[in-house]
Amino acid sequence: MARVTLEHVSYTYEPGTPFAVKALDDVCLTVREGSITGIIGHTGSGKSTMVQLFNGLEKPSEGRILLDGKDIWENPKKMRDIRFRVGLVMQYPEYQLFEETVRADIAFGPRNMGLSEEEISARVAEAAEIVGLTAADLDKSPFDLSGGQKRRAAIAGVMAMRPEVLVLDEPAAGLDPRGRDIILQAVADYGHKTGATVIIVSHSMEDMAVYCDDIVVMAHAKVFLAGSRDEVFAHAEELRSVGLDVPQITHLALLLAARGVRLPKGIYTVEAALRAIENLL
Amino acid sequence: MKEAFIRAKDLYYTYKEEGQEPVSVLRGLSLEIQKGEYVAILGHNGSGKSTFAKLLNMILEPDSGELWVAGRELTSPELTEDDVYALRREVGMVFQNPDNQLVATIVEEDVAFGPENLGVPSAEIRRRVDEALAAVGMSNFAKSEPHRLSGGQKQRVAIAGIIAMMPNCMIFDESTAMLDPVGRREVVETFEKLNRERGITVITITHYMNEAARADRVIVLDEGKVLMDGKPFEVFARAEELVATGLDVPQCTSLVHALRKKGLVIDGEPVTTEECAEMICRALEEHHGKGNA
Repeated sequence: MARVTLEHVSYTYEPGTPFAVKALDDVCLTVREGSITGIIGHTGSGKSTMVQLFNGLEKPSEGRILLDGKDIWENPKKMRDIRFRVGLVMQYPEYQLFEETVRADIAFGPRNMGLSEEEISARVAEAAEIVGLTAADLDKSPFDLSGGQKRRAAIAGVMAMRPEVLVLDEPAAGLDPRGRDIILQAVADYGHKTGATVIIVSHSMEDMAVYCDDIVVMAHAKVFLAGSRDEVFAHAEELRSVGLDVPQITHLALLLAARGVRLPKGIYTVEAALRAIENLL
Repeated sequence: MKEAFIRAKDLYYTYKEEGQEPVSVLRGLSLEIQKGEYVAILGHNGSGKSTFAKLLNMILEPDSGELWVAGRELTSPELTEDDVYALRREVGMVFQNPDNQLVATIVEEDVAFGPENLGVPSAEIRRRVDEALAAVGMSNFAKSEPHRLSGGQKQRVAIAGIIAMMPNCMIFDESTAMLDPVGRREVVETFEKLNRERGITVITITHYMNEAARADRVIVLDEGKVLMDGKPFEVFARAEELVATGLDVPQCTSLVHALRKKGLVIDGEPVTTEECAEMICRALEEHHGKGNA
């Protein structure tokens, strides 16, 4: 079932001026309920603009955005409710930490929702657990955490509002491989535990291949490809033509196939490649 | 003996900020880098990579230890302000966020900013700007506004700005982290060309293992010290230790190691995807050849 739907959505920056730029051009897409959906695209493809439309931070110039079939702009006075239901984690969210303790920072969102103190602490504990912050971490000043921990605290602050749709713009940017895995695993865990729909914007094809069920490829303000991970990564040449790539292991599988090694289609993890080659031994 | 371009001996550095626990980042770092080398530095967040880079052109000064760069002892009490300026001309840095590095409203003015500050005569500036933009493949954008460029193009303009100061060494501190795959390729190919054709020493700090695999030498930092130092294939052969320190190996390397564990005999360590495909093909042929014999 569709949780989020974009119907013929366009967005123009500086409309009516000589600098008008169409960041999204007649975009139609659906995000399946409970899926982890990756959005990939070259710089300037419209990804980050799209992210700001999901929870009504920006209003489309044309078209509609539906949450469970209802236009989120139907009643702009209710936008606050939409923002509680669709949580948005911006790029480098750790720069937005400001409270004295990590606990207070994570509690900020749920407190704004008017929840009871009891409910707030339960949600803080739950979110901290998902992102792997300990009770001792919660009592620290955000400034005493490592870079990766700060990022996790900021994401936990959005998770604690328990959004039905969690949208993250480049959640793993600038982290080392282990830090990337911890964050992306936590985000996937949030989806699996709560049944929420998760939308991740990323440049890393390798990460998308591991964590996402569905992938939407944006190019030049339009949807270029959309489908399951297998369907999308089967289009290696097209992906390269729009400045993207397939995971290194998928590229390797294609090179091996071109040299006559019989491999199945749709190899995008090291494990899948290993199994396929093992079958040839 | 030939003098190393960079010689670090037992460097220590601790970040101290009011009201916060001091964080000791470099703990006895020693290494040498020769002129003209192409070196990738890897390490988990907080391992000391960026701190080390900032010592190399004196954005930071070490607490203790000895550091020589381009024949100057940066840790000497006799170091003059002129030495620092000369050093910063010789060792250029490109940072992560392209939007924080461009200062002018026209590309060519941005590239001219460095040499203008150095007091280079204007005819010479013109020559250097044209040449620097050509070197990064951005001549057609000389009159463009930087904010209308893609991320990879902005980083190439930032690189041109440094080339115009004619450095001997360039440090790329996660300069590809915010770019898409094409932008990353543009930047990497640009600095590889500068290294190859002009002998500029290139030090690239990255979290992308595929990028590190392209360098001539990989240095892995951990806890503010050198953990590994060698050719990419030597370093990536130590996959388990790399994972233990929070890093990873390229996917091709992982696959080759896993296939060896399953009994496939594969010679050498792959660096590029093409090499890896070649090696696996050969190994499969040999494997089946033996099986049929």
